[in-house]
Amino acid sequence: MLSQLNSPPLYLICGLIILFVAIVCVIFLVRAYRAGKKAGMDPAVLKRAIVSSASFSILPSVGILLGVIALSGSLGTPWPWLRLSVIGALHYETQVAEAAAEQVGIGRLSGSTMTPEAFVTIALLMSICIMWGMVLSVLFNKSYLKKIRRRGRDEKKNAGREGFGDMAITAMFTGLVSVYLGSYIGGFVSGRGHLTFEGDFTPVLVCLVSAAVMAFFTWLSAKKGMKWLEGFSIAGSMLIGMLSAMVF
Amino acid sequence: MKEQEAFLERYETNTHRIGRICTIVTLVLLVGAPFLIGRVLGARPDMTAVLRGYLAVGLVWTVSSVAEFLIYTPMLGAGGGYLAFITGNLINMKIPCAMNARDIAGTKAGTTENDIVSTLSIATSSLVTIGVLAAGVLLMVPLQPVLTSPTLAPAFDNVVPALFGAFGYQYYRKNPKLAAFPLLLMSILFICVPSLTSQTSVLILPAGAITIGLAYRMYVKAQRRKGGL
Repeated sequence: MLSQLNSPPLYLICGLIILFVAIVCVIFLVRAYRAGKKAGMDPAVLKRAIVSSASFSILPSVGILLGVIALSGSLGTPWPWLRLSVIGALHYETQVAEAAAEQVGIGRLSGSTMTPEAFVTIALLMSICIMWGMVLSVLFNKSYLKKIRRRGRDEKKNAGREGFGDMAITAMFTGLVSVYLGSYIGGFVSGRGHLTFEGDFTPVLVCLVSAAVMAFFTWLSAKKGMKWLEGFSIAGSMLIGMLSAMVF
Repeated sequence: MKEQEAFLERYETNTHRIGRICTIVTLVLLVGAPFLIGRVLGARPDMTAVLRGYLAVGLVWTVSSVAEFLIYTPMLGAGGGYLAFITGNLINMKIPCAMNARDIAGTKAGTTENDIVSTLSIATSSLVTIGVLAAGVLLMVPLQPVLTSPTLAPAFDNVVPALFGAFGYQYYRKNPKLAAFPLLLMSILFICVPSLTSQTSVLILPAGAITIGLAYRMYVKAQRRKGGL
C-alpha cells in the first residue's frame, strides 16, 4: 500500500497544490513589498522584516519536516508533505490522522493496515476538520477587521488619546506565551504526580537558555550598535536553546 | 498624501478580493484532493466514517478554528490573515514570526503598515517552510537517519519551548507587571491540573482575555494620570 501512496501521480497532485500556494505567497509578498514602498515605509525595514522572518522560519520548518517523516510511515510521503506545507499544523495532523484511523476501523495509524479506502477517508477527514479557519476568513475577515478598526478609530477620536488596540494585541500574545510557559512549569512540578518536581525539566531549561540568549542578543543590538542582529536574534536564541536540550 | 491614502485603500480592497479568491481555490483543491487521489487509487472516501470522525474529533477543531480566527485575525490584518489560514502552523510559527517582524518594523496593530509587514512576514515564512519541506522530501533518504537520530531528538522535541522562551523574554520585559499575573495563573493551573498540558490551545483564549482585561485596567489608569480620560 505504501508504494501506492508514494507513487508519482500522488506526488504530482500534492506537488501542484503546493506550487499553487507558493505562487499565492509570492503574489502576496510582492504586492505587500510594493505597497510598503509606496506607503513611504523604509525599504531597509521591509527587507529586515523579510530576512528576519526567513531566518526565524528555518528551524521550526525542520521541526515540521520531522512531522512529515513521522507520518510518511503510515500515510506515504506526498500527503503529509502537502498537509504540512499548506494549512496543516504539526500538533494537529498526527492527532486527527490517528483519530480518523480509528473511525475507519483500521485501529492505529499504520502503513501495514492501511487500505486505499481508509487512506482517502482519513485524507478527507483531515481536510474537513481544519478548513474552518479558511472558511471564516472568506466569510468574515473583511467585516471583522473593519469593525475592529472602526472601534480603534472611535477610541482615538473620543478623547484624542492613544488607542488600546496595539496594547490589546501585545497583551493577547503575552497571554499566549504564558499558557505555554505555564504548561512547562506545571509539567515539571506536577507532571509525575502533584508537587513532586519530578516531571520533565528540559522544556523549562530550554526556555531559560533561549530567554537568556535572547537577552544577550537584545543587549548587543541595543547597546553595542549591532542592529543587524535583530533579524537573527530569535532564530539564534532558538538554536542555542534547542542545543541545550541535547547537552543536558 | 490623498493619493497615498487612496492607494492604500485600493491595496486593502484588492487584498480582500485576492485573499478570498485564493482561499476559495485552495479550499476546493484541498477538499478535492482526496477524491482525486481516490480515483488514482481506485477507492472512494467512506462518508459515514468521515461524518463519525468529524463528530468525534472535528468539532473540537472547529471550535478551536473559530477561536483562532477571532484571536489571530486582528494580529495579522487582512493579507497576513488570509495567508496564515491558507498556510497553517499558526501558533508554532506564523504568529510569532509576524509578531517578531512587527516588533522589528515598529508598526502598530490595526494600521495598513502593520498589515503590510505581517503579510511580508507570513509569505516569507510560508515560502521557507515550503522550500525546506520540498528539499526534505527530495532528500528524504539521506536526511531521515540524521534528523531522526536519538542525538538530535531532544533538540527537535523542544522547538516550541525554545521559541516561547525567546518570545517570553521579549514580551515580558516590555511589561513585566502585565506578564506576571497570567504566567503565575497558568503555572498554578497546570501545577494543579497537569493533564491540561494536552489542552494548551484551548486555554489561549481565556488567558488572552484575562491579560487583555488587565492591560485595559493599566491603560485606563495611565490615561487618567495623563488626563486623557
